[in-house]
Amino acid sequence: MADTLPQTTAPTPVAVEQPSYAHPVAAFFLFFFKAAAVFIYIFCGWFGTDFVINFCTITFLLVCDFWTVKNVSGRLMVGLRWWNEVSEMGGSDWKFESLEEGQRAVNKKDSFVFWTLLYATPAVWCALGFIAILKLNIDYLLLVIIAVLLSGANLMGYLKCSKAAQNQIKGRFNSLFASGLRAYMFSGRS
Amino acid sequence: GGPQNTLDEPVWETAKRDLRRICKNLVMVVFPFKDRSQQSAALRNWDLWGPMIFTLGLATTLSLGAQTASKTFSLVFALVSMGAIVLTVNVVLLGGTIGFFQSLCLLGYCLFPMDVAAIVCVTVKIMLVRWIVVPVMIVWASWASIPFVGGAVPANRRALAVFPLVLLYTAVGWLALIT
Repeated sequence: MADTLPQTTAPTPVAVEQPSYAHPVAAFFLFFFKAAAVFIYIFCGWFGTDFVINFCTITFLLVCDFWTVKNVSGRLMVGLRWWNEVSEMGGSDWKFESLEEGQRAVNKKDSFVFWTLLYATPAVWCALGFIAILKLNIDYLLLVIIAVLLSGANLMGYLKCSKAAQNQIKGRFNSLFASGLRAYMFSGRS
Repeated sequence: GGPQNTLDEPVWETAKRDLRRICKNLVMVVFPFKDRSQQSAALRNWDLWGPMIFTLGLATTLSLGAQTASKTFSLVFALVSMGAIVLTVNVVLLGGTIGFFQSLCLLGYCLFPMDVAAIVCVTVKIMLVRWIVVPVMIVWASWASIPFVGGAVPANRRALAVFPLVLLYTAVGWLALIT
């Protein structure tokens, strides 16, 4: 299954040094929605538009950002994915998906950009929230709460996902180690 | 079960899948003409896009006709979101077996009739039309959501779970009526 986003730099094989981003388009969109939402939030007074329009626009951008990070950027840039399923009993199951060994290498720069933005977004919105509380701006506080919830959810999801992936790798390593040990003990001995 | 390996699928696939799910959920919840028993299974694919769209739509529509647009908008949005969360907590506290997000999803989709009511109220000035449309929509919204909520709680607590639900829709309907 080839990914169909156009890439301006060709992805290089694993063994070679990867100096450039493997998914510049994904990185751009990752940054764009977040930055646009924050920018419009801070400067909406200058545009002179209606509060309702501001709210809907920013919410739309926040939702786009959430969806992009969850479904596109995470997949392409760090090979992780999380979602939720409801089981028979009505309990919710958090499912995680991560790259198999050797399926595709994760570009270091992509990973850095992704995780930095992921941590930075809730932090920025929390700061904006404090400012809104100080200014007693309840209407915009509502918006900030939505922003914090959405970006926080993505952060938590990916953190849990990467932990799950690491556990998976550890588990596989352990079983590989055990089978290697067994092979060593039972072979080459008469 | 979940998708097998969706890590490398094209972006459009993901988008289409989510859109299809929104439509399916909407039809399942609000236009249930088929067998009701499979509905709780159907809502297992919950999503919050529908509720978000409908809540925003409701708040926007109601603020269009009001004097203080921004206050009305925030009020409606906060009322509906808080109402949905409180109702969900209520069901859970009453010993219900519905999932938190499932319930939020359901309550959000059941706002669709209230959206229709709001649009009608904002566009039509004749009070009689409003007085007919709003109660009908309240009944429709309640009728869509009561089986889920009522079915999830033990029988002797059903009224406790259902009453706040009807109250919420009535409150929203009232807001629409007086616009």
